[in-house]
Amino acid sequence: MKNVRNFCIIAHIDHGKSTLADRLIQACNGVETREFRDQVLDDMELERERGITIKSNAISLAHTAEDGLTYRLNLIDTPGHVDFSHEVRRSLMACEGAIIIVDATQGVEAQTVANLYLAMEHDLELLPVINKIDLPAADVDRALEEVDRDLGLDPFAALAVSAKNGVGIDRVLEGIVEHLPPPTGDPEAPLKALVFDARYDVYRGIVLSCRIRDGSLAAGDRVRFMHAGTEYEVHEVGYSGFRREKIDRLPTGAVGYVITGIKTIRDVGIGDTLTLCRRPAEAPLPGYQPARPVVFSSIYPMSSDEYPALSEAIEKLALNDAALVYQKDASAALGFGYRCGFLGLLHLDVVQERLRREFDLSLVLSAPSVLYRVQTSDGARHEVDNPGLWPDPGTIQGVEEPWIQASILVPEKYMGAAIELCRQHRAASLTTSFLARGRLEVVAEMPLAEVLFDFYDRLKSVTRGYGSFDYEERDYRAGDIVKVDILVHHEKVDALAFLAHRDKARARAVHYCEQLAESIPRHQFRIPVQGAIGGNIISRATISAFRKDVTAKCYGGDVSRKRKLLEKQKKGKERMKLVGSVEIPQDAFVSVLRTDRA
Amino acid sequence: MRVVSSAPVVEPAPGVESTPEVESAPAVESATVVESATVVESAPVVESAPEPTESAGLYVHVPFCSAVCPYCDFAVQIGSASERTAFGALLRAEAALWSAWDRPIDTVYVGGGTPSRLDPGQLEPMLAALRSELPVRSDAELFLEANPEDVTPGRVDEWRALGVSFLSLGVQSFHDAELRALGRRHDGREARSAVETSLKGGFDTVSVDLMFGLPGQDLAAWSGNLDTVLALGPEHISCYQLTIHEDTAFGRRRARGRLTEMPESAQADFFASTHARLADAGWEAYEVSNFARAPRHRSQHNLKYWRHLPYLGLGPSAHSFDGARHRWWNHRALHDYARRITRGERAVEADEALDGEALALEALMLGLRTVEGIDLPGYRLRYGVDLHGLNRPLIATLAEEGLVQCEAGALRPTRRGLAVADGLAARFRLA
Ligand SMILES: Nc1nc2c(ncn2[C@@H]2O[C@H](COP(=O)(O)OP(=O)(O)O)[C@@H](O)[C@H]2O)c(=O)[nH]1
Ligand SMILES: C[S@@+](CC[C@H](N)C(=O)[O-])C[C@H]1O[C@@H](n2cnc3c(N)ncnc32)[C@H](O)[C@@H]1O
Ligand code: SF4
Repeated sequence: MKNVRNFCIIAHIDHGKSTLADRLIQACNGVETREFRDQVLDDMELERERGITIKSNAISLAHTAEDGLTYRLNLIDTPGHVDFSHEVRRSLMACEGAIIIVDATQGVEAQTVANLYLAMEHDLELLPVINKIDLPAADVDRALEEVDRDLGLDPFAALAVSAKNGVGIDRVLEGIVEHLPPPTGDPEAPLKALVFDARYDVYRGIVLSCRIRDGSLAAGDRVRFMHAGTEYEVHEVGYSGFRREKIDRLPTGAVGYVITGIKTIRDVGIGDTLTLCRRPAEAPLPGYQPARPVVFSSIYPMSSDEYPALSEAIEKLALNDAALVYQKDASAALGFGYRCGFLGLLHLDVVQERLRREFDLSLVLSAPSVLYRVQTSDGARHEVDNPGLWPDPGTIQGVEEPWIQASILVPEKYMGAAIELCRQHRAASLTTSFLARGRLEVVAEMPLAEVLFDFYDRLKSVTRGYGSFDYEERDYRAGDIVKVDILVHHEKVDALAFLAHRDKARARAVHYCEQLAESIPRHQFRIPVQGAIGGNIISRATISAFRKDVTAKCYGGDVSRKRKLLEKQKKGKERMKLVGSVEIPQDAFVSVLRTDRA
Repeated sequence: MRVVSSAPVVEPAPGVESTPEVESAPAVESATVVESATVVESAPVVESAPEPTESAGLYVHVPFCSAVCPYCDFAVQIGSASERTAFGALLRAEAALWSAWDRPIDTVYVGGGTPSRLDPGQLEPMLAALRSELPVRSDAELFLEANPEDVTPGRVDEWRALGVSFLSLGVQSFHDAELRALGRRHDGREARSAVETSLKGGFDTVSVDLMFGLPGQDLAAWSGNLDTVLALGPEHISCYQLTIHEDTAFGRRRARGRLTEMPESAQADFFASTHARLADAGWEAYEVSNFARAPRHRSQHNLKYWRHLPYLGLGPSAHSFDGARHRWWNHRALHDYARRITRGERAVEADEALDGEALALEALMLGLRTVEGIDLPGYRLRYGVDLHGLNRPLIATLAEEGLVQCEAGALRPTRRGLAVADGLAARFRLA
C-alpha cells in the first residue's frame, strides 16, 4: 500500500487536464508510443471536443521515484464537468489525492473552485500545478497568489509546468509520490470494493473498475453486490494500463479491473460495494445512489427515415450507459421516436450530443419532464412523465412531484442573487451557511422540475460563473400540476405539450407561443398559436397571414420557370411537419424546445 | 395560303419530312439538359387523359424597342435598322421550319418588345408567311402590342387593315412623373391620346396595360390612373404589379439599396383595391392581372397559357407547349436565334418533357391564377390526380379562410386567394 497512489486531476475546462494526463502516461511509459493516441483517457470523440470526460476510467502507471522505489500511480479520470456530480463523487471516492491545475494565463476560474470544494468534501490531499508556463501571457506569480488567496492552498507546494512541452513533468510525478498520501484500509477486514465504473467489452462482457477499500479480491472469488444483492464469480482481476494487466489478486488500496460473468451494464450498480460471499462486510461503503432516471424526454429523428438509425444508436449507447432507459414512442407531429429517461439534465445533453455527433443524427427533443405521481378517483396511482399519458384532469385527485435539496456554492457577494433565484424557482426552505474565504453555501428545497430548464444557466449568469450547483433527490410532495397543450391553428401539437406547476404554466406557454410564432413562416391564412389548460386558453400569439405573393405576369415564357420554383418550394415543404394545414419547420420544434432551456 | 377551318391537320405538309415532328422533342443544339422535368421516353404519361383537341395559339416575339426600360426583363434590344429589316425574313424562315405543326391555330399574338415599331410594310409579309406556313384558321384573332408613342390614326388604320382585332397598349401610367421614372418614351397626354385614337380604330378590343406598386407610389396616384382608364373606356385592362427582376437596372438599384420595393402589405392593399375598384365598375377580373369589360373581350390568346393549351412560339426567347407534355424554347439572344435559323435549323435552345406530376402542378398553378379556377372532374380526367380527395383538410382550411371556393366541382380562388396564388399552389398534394 505504501507505494501506491490513487489520484485524479481536476481543473477548469481547457486548463490542460488531458494534456497533463497524456504527459504523465508517456513519462511512465504506460502506453507504447505506437499505440499512443492523443488524450488517451478521453476516448470518445465528444469528450475530446467538449473537453469533458463523461465516463470515469482509470489508468495504472509505474513510476520509479528518486527514492529508488517503484510506485504504482493510479490516475482516475473524472468527468470534467461538475454537473456529473454523482460520477465525480464516485471517482473522487476512489482517490486519496488530486492534482488541481491552474492555467498560468487564466488563473483560478469558477470550475477550479467548484472542483476544489468537491475534492475537499472527500478529504483529498491537493497538489496545485500551474500549467502553460511556456506561454508569453503566463503570469505564474499571479496564479500562485490566487492559489493562496482563492483556493486556500499552499503556494509553495505548487509546481509550475508546461504540460504541452513536457517541462516539469518529473516534478509532478515526484510531487504525487511525496505530497499525496498512500491509500489506507484494512487488509484483514472483509472485502469492501467500490465499483466506480463499468464498461462493455465485446469479448469479455462487463469490465468493472474497482477501488479496494478493505480486504482483497482474487480471481475465483465469489462476490456480492451489497446493494443489488446479486452474486457473481470473479473471472479475472488486474490493473488497467493502456492494456489490461492480469494479476492474481487486487490488494487493499488497489485500483483495478474486475471481470465477472455480468453480461449487461444494467446489472451493475455503479457506486455499489462488492464484498465476498463467504465473508461479507457488515455494511456497504456510504454514498451509494442507484442510477435512477429522474428526467424524461422524447427523442425523435428530424426525418422519419432516420428512425432505424436512431434505434440502433440508442441501443449502442445503452451498452455503456446503464443510466439511459428508453422505450418506443410515437408522436402525431414528429413520428416515431423514443421516450428516454436520464440521470439529470447534463446526462440528457450528453446523450443527445453523442447521438448527434457519433451517429450523425438530427434530432428533436421534447421538453424534459420529471416523474409525477398521480392519484385518480378510481383509487389508482400512476407514475407519469409523459404529457401524452396524463390522466383526464377531471379524474385527478392529487399529484405529487419530486423535490430536491439543492446546494449552491457562491462567493458571498452573489448570495442575494442566488437566494432570489431559488425563490423564483419555488424554493421552500432556504438556509445559508458561511464557508471559508468569503464563500457560502445556500441550501434550498425545490421541486426538481424547477431546475430542469433555465435554473443552471441563470445561476451561472447571476454569479458570473462562480456559482456551483448540486442537488440530492429528496421526497415527493403535493403540487398543483397541470398539463398544457399547445395548439397551432386549433390543432394540438402533441410533441409540444408539457406538464408544469400551475403558477409556472402561463409563463412557459407564453414563451412557447412566442417562439412558435417567430419560427413558423407566415401562411396564406392567419394562424393562432395557443397554450391551453383543458379548454382554457392561457396564452396566445398570432402569425399574421401572408397577403400577397402572386407575381403579376405568367405567360407562355414564364410557365416552366414558375413550375420549377414551385417544385423547389414543395421540396422544402416535404421537410416540414404538417399539423392540420400548417407547415411547421423542424427548426421551429428545435428552437422552441431548446430556448425552453436557455 | 393554307387555310384551315376546323379539322386538325395530322399529316405534315408535303416536302417537310425532314423537319422534326412536333410531338417528339425538338432538335436541341446545345447539350442543354433540362433537369426539373423527368424526360419520359415512351410510357404514356397521362393515361386517362384525352389529349386536348382545342386549337393552339401562336406567339411571335419581336425583340426590338426604341430604348430598354429599366424594369424590363424581356428579350429586347434597340437593334439596328438592318437587324430590324432582316428580322422579318428570319421569322418567315422560322415559320417555314415549323410547317409540320399540325394543331390549328386560332390566335396569333404579335408581342415583344415593341412590334408597333415595325412598319406595316414589314408586318404584312410576316403575317402572310405565318398564314401560309402554319395552320392558322381564317377566323383566327390577331393580337398586337403597341407602345403609345407609335399610335397614330394612320397606323391604327393600317393595323386594322392587317386584321388586328385586339390591340394592347403599353400605357403603364398616365402620370408624367411615373412614366419618367419607368423610363418610358411617352407622357400622360400621349398615353391618353393613344387610347382615344385606338378606340376610334374599330378594333374588337382595345386593352390598356398599367403598372402599380411602383417604388414610393401612393394609392391615390394609382387610383387616379384607374379613374383615367375607366373614363377613357377600353374593353380590356391589364394591371400589373411591378416585378423587380434581378438582372435589370431596377434590380441593380434595389441591390445597392437605391430603390425600395413596395412592402408586401402595401402590395396587398393595392392589389385588393384594384380588384375592388374594377369589380365595382362592372369589370370582371378573369385573371390575377387581367380585367375584361365583358367575357368576349378576354384575351383568348393569353387564356391558352392558363388553360394549359398548346401554343407555338416564334422569335427569340419564345416558348412553346405542345398541349401534351413537351415544352421548348428558343434562344434568347437575337444572334443565336439568327444563326440557327440561317443554318436552316429551328432555333430551339432546350426542351423538357414533363411527367404527370409536373403537368398536374402546372395546371394547378395556372388554374389558381384564373377566376375559372380548376374544374375538378376535368382535372382528374386529364392529369389523373384527385385534387379534391388528396387535399380535403387543406381545401377546407383555405375555404374557411376565404381564399378558395369549392363549389359545383370547381376550385376557384377568391380575390384574396388570387393575391396569394403562388403560395397556394405549393400547398397542394398531387400524389
Ligand atoms: N501552450 C501550452 N498549451 C497547453 C499546455 N497544456 C495544455 N495546453 C493546451 O491547452 C488546450 C487545452 O488543453 P487540454 O489538455 O485539452 O485541457 P482540458 O480541457 O483541461 O483537458 C489544448 O489546446 C492544449 O494543447 C501548456 O502547457 N502550454
Ligand atoms: C410584353 S410587355 C411589353 C409591352 C410593351 N413593349 C410595353 O412595354 O409597353 C407587356 C406588359 O408587361 C408589363 N411589364 C413589363 N415589365 C414588367 C415588370 N417588370 N413588372 C410588371 N409588369 C411588367 C407592362 O405593363 C407591359 O405593358
Ligand atoms: S417597351 Fe416594353 S418590351 Fe420594350 S423595354 Fe420597355 S417594357 Fe420592355
